[in-house]
Amino acid sequence: MNWKVLGAGLLLVVPLVAVLASGIGNDPKGVSNALEGTAAPDFTLQTMDGEPVTLASLAGRPVVLNFWSTWCQPCKLEHPHLQQAASVYGPKGVVFLGVLYNDEVAKAKPFLKRNGSVFPTLLDPGQRVAIDFGVAGVPETFVISSDGRITQKFSGPVSYQVLAQSLEPLL
Amino acid sequence: MIPLLGRTAVLVALAACAVGTVTGAFAGVKRSETALRWTRWMAYAFGAASTAAFVLMEYALFADDFSVAYVAEVGSTQTPHWVTFVSLWSSLNGSILLWGFVLGVYVAGLAWTTRGRYPGLTAWALSVSLAVGVFFSFLVAGIANPFELVDPAPVDGPGPNPLLQNHILMVIHPPTLYLGYVGMTVPFAMGAAALLAGRMDAAWVRLLRRWMLVPWGFLTVGIVLGGWWSYEVLGWGGWWAWDPVENASFMPWLTATAFVHSAMVMERKDQLKGWTVSLVLASFLLTILGTFMTRSGVFNSVHSFTQSPIGPVFLTFLAVALVFSVVLLAARVDTLSPATGGLAGPASREVGFLANNLLFAALTFTVLLGTVYPLLNEWATGEQISVGQPYFDRMGAPLGVAIVFLMGVGPALPWGRSASGALLARLGLPAALAVVGVALGIATGMDGGWVLLTYAVSGFALGTTLLELWRPAAARAASLGESLPVAVGKVLVSARRRYGGYVVHVGVIVIAVAHATATFATERHSVTFTQDTPKDVAGYTLTYKGSEWQDQPHRKSLVANIEIARDGAVIGTFGPRLNHYKSMGQPIGTPVVRSGLKEDLYLSLVNVDEQAGTASLDVLREPLVWWLWFGGGLMLLGTLVAAWPASGRRASGRAAPQAAK
Repeated sequence: MNWKVLGAGLLLVVPLVAVLASGIGNDPKGVSNALEGTAAPDFTLQTMDGEPVTLASLAGRPVVLNFWSTWCQPCKLEHPHLQQAASVYGPKGVVFLGVLYNDEVAKAKPFLKRNGSVFPTLLDPGQRVAIDFGVAGVPETFVISSDGRITQKFSGPVSYQVLAQSLEPLL
Repeated sequence: MIPLLGRTAVLVALAACAVGTVTGAFAGVKRSETALRWTRWMAYAFGAASTAAFVLMEYALFADDFSVAYVAEVGSTQTPHWVTFVSLWSSLNGSILLWGFVLGVYVAGLAWTTRGRYPGLTAWALSVSLAVGVFFSFLVAGIANPFELVDPAPVDGPGPNPLLQNHILMVIHPPTLYLGYVGMTVPFAMGAAALLAGRMDAAWVRLLRRWMLVPWGFLTVGIVLGGWWSYEVLGWGGWWAWDPVENASFMPWLTATAFVHSAMVMERKDQLKGWTVSLVLASFLLTILGTFMTRSGVFNSVHSFTQSPIGPVFLTFLAVALVFSVVLLAARVDTLSPATGGLAGPASREVGFLANNLLFAALTFTVLLGTVYPLLNEWATGEQISVGQPYFDRMGAPLGVAIVFLMGVGPALPWGRSASGALLARLGLPAALAVVGVALGIATGMDGGWVLLTYAVSGFALGTTLLELWRPAAARAASLGESLPVAVGKVLVSARRRYGGYVVHVGVIVIAVAHATATFATERHSVTFTQDTPKDVAGYTLTYKGSEWQDQPHRKSLVANIEIARDGAVIGTFGPRLNHYKSMGQPIGTPVVRSGLKEDLYLSLVNVDEQAGTASLDVLREPLVWWLWFGGGLMLLGTLVAAWPASGRRASGRAAPQAAK
């Protein structure tokens, strides 16, 4: 055994692996944590039926804001969960809003008709609001407390249980 | 059906690798012919099964079989055929499938080229490379399984990442890099085999060197194509950004380049054995590090795949491979016959190679440090920072210049003794060309210190290289009465390895000059054009002729028609565009590049205001960029000349007298 080679090699290799390991689980594009706790950017958007909705006017009620599209498979997966959460927590005062992300009304309407829809979906021309919220892909779901702060952001599909856990403390 | 067949193929590959690893090690320890024969068959089986898995996935993509998870993830009925084909490596799981396929072919190739020769070493080499195969087959069979069944199957998929659909180079750039990355497994296995068997004979080194030139050549081409792709597609007009993933491909290239040089010292002088083997091991380990970087989501980069659970698994493999290599090296390095005596005089060829190796090692370490520094910093202070181009340029430029300079000195140095006064005579032409280089630079307004220094060392290195190519041919022409072109051809054929190497050197010089010039002298203008109103920009007259929408099944494009004229003569109308893909929020630009030997005109569309009739563009005038790709082509040509297998007997017959010189 050549101890010099072993020592030098391990001296190079062990810290390298340690540093790499420290990076695991980090999100280098980590906007998610940065947004949590900050005030949600305000917006006024129209629903697919042309009704304007302003976030500020919903102050005093928790809001679940879900960015989705018909071309996204995980969005289809989470759709029934959102519907269920809306039918349970809607009556308790939580406002559920969908935001159509880079998609066409002509596709979204039949989708909602087929799969059910208990809350309105807003149109976001030019993805302005998606950009304000730092949406990187769909689905993303923001939970906003009654004082207008983002308490949680979920990237990827949410389940009913996760949403329920997130909403309970806000009621 | 496909999910079942694909999974079967992957499991067969995994089984073949696992069995072959064990039988190979057994054959290595016990010198068992039977076990070695089994190991070979396992290598072939791995090659066949991983090929089958690859073909099945391509079939599923073309058949729009959305019951296959990966097809549902990246497939689409709307994409053109070539995009369907490249979809296989557009996302994480498919890229690992491709990795397994390429590895299977390489390992089978290793089994084939070593048949009937070096039984002890081959057994270990196959065992080690199949052990790497176990890991990748395990990934494909487990957490990265692309063949998972989706039930119910969706009717259509989103198609691959739009950036990747944007250019035809996507067909060749990633597979070329994979051929380079994955191919490093073979020299690694051969180096490890030498350590495990405790010997490293000259024939094995020659075979190893050729097996290294194959992935090295692919890596070279892959890196150059990557630069080209980024230049043609990304719209910022650059080709190299010191992005972690670019660095990941550059680091193994550096160590492999160092190896190609130190192997010559080892072959001729039986010296630097431990160091040379370390470079072989390092080249492979750096490719695994690079793969970890792209796939773990730890580094922020345009190339990275999304976050995935594969990171920790890869890190574990990397850690195991690192520790295995270090321990193996420490335990066995002294058994490779220790070097006899020191290196010859201070100005000998050996010392030149040693200096070259130290520079390459320093550059590798610099790049590695810069790449992991953000992680190091975040770990220490909790803050995310990026090191960025200034660090790499400041640290890399002197080392790069020194390497090119050495390229001008090394080939002129004699083997085995220190250079005498004759050396100075041989450096006359190179020195003159260095002066010419500087004069040319000053005359053309390239008055930056680093640019002029690059011109000087490039002229110097070019002089030496041309002289080395010229001198033997001239001598031959004079003594044998051949015409000069015939003599040049004969000399090239007679010592292909050496002259192939010089052709590569010329390619590197061309790239160094082009890179320094283009980096220093590129003009960049942001211009807003009003329709039909000509503007003079960067020496051209550009006129915006209006915009149009083009519909394709997989995208809609907004094209701005720009008429380019120079000195009153219209060159043509070109259409930089913004592409809108259905799965992507932001549009992605496709620039227009008008390439010439002297300079490129690069138009990148930023925005079109259809109502106001205006278009905003980035207009870049970039000198000598074409020469970057030409230099890459020369490097490929030189590599082919050097590595092309001669018929076996002739190759070994010729190598002996050369080594004895």
